[in-house]
Amino acid sequence: MSAVQTRYEYDVFTRIKRGDDLVHIGTVAAPSDELAKVYAKAVYDEENWVEMCVVPRRHIKWVKQPEGLFEAEGGR
Amino acid sequence: MDQQTVTELIALLEQIADNKLLLGDRLVEIGVSGPDLEATLGAIAMAQGELGHARLLYHWSFDLRGHTGKKPDVTEQTGKAFSTVLHISNWIELIANLYVASASADLVIKALLDSRRPEIVNRLQKLWREQQEHLLYSRGWLEQLLQDAGAIPTHTRQALADASQCGSEWLSSIEQQSRQLTAAGILSPTLNLAAPFQLQISQLLQAGQRATHVH
Repeated sequence: MSAVQTRYEYDVFTRIKRGDDLVHIGTVAAPSDELAKVYAKAVYDEENWVEMCVVPRRHIKWVKQPEGLFEAEGGR
Repeated sequence: MDQQTVTELIALLEQIADNKLLLGDRLVEIGVSGPDLEATLGAIAMAQGELGHARLLYHWSFDLRGHTGKKPDVTEQTGKAFSTVLHISNWIELIANLYVASASADLVIKALLDSRRPEIVNRLQKLWREQQEHLLYSRGWLEQLLQDAGAIPTHTRQALADASQCGSEWLSSIEQQSRQLTAAGILSPTLNLAAPFQLQISQLLQAGQRATHVH
């Protein structure tokens, strides 16, 4: 298909057992939230997760990010 | 259930199972070269689901026929699949038919679940829940295809029109011909399947004209 559709990056988080940490396990690229959820389940189906969620990466508000080590990465 | 009711129920189950069996095969054959990696992995996951559902429905129909012992492997449909499902040859037709088969089966299964009969609910509840994902996947992809460039939206509309005609005809025939299932209280006497199905299709076509929304 053509590249007309915008695909967004989603981070995928899962919890393996109740009480365990919610862990970042990967990403999916999808044009909508609904497809991102379906893709996450299809791609990261290797465990019987008790919880799984997707977060649009563009909705993450960064408080602190590492500075680049080299000039090309924005460092000094 | 008397014999005529069983016969009608078996025909319903086999119709859904036939579509699912063929879709399971096509989702692998065509889905494996899907437009992107996630779509391909999704198609393979859907294929597993469809084949599992087909197996469950065929086994149920064997039980209804009084089959005992080991169930035979089903490798071919019983001849009730939609003609458009039978002739899927590309991604657009695959997605259109997956949506139509899932949406029409969804309405029929919901109607059967509404009977609240344990022997039906126990067999269909999990299948119906799992099928919601197939609906989301195919609907999401249809919206994309309808908004795509070049000839893709036109081909998608045509594939959807062809498939939905099969879906509408099937649902109308259930409304008109399932007398025994209605008499047995398994289907409602005020069964309404074709109209909600056609509404879903027209809503999808409208949604396809709007820009993809992301919350």
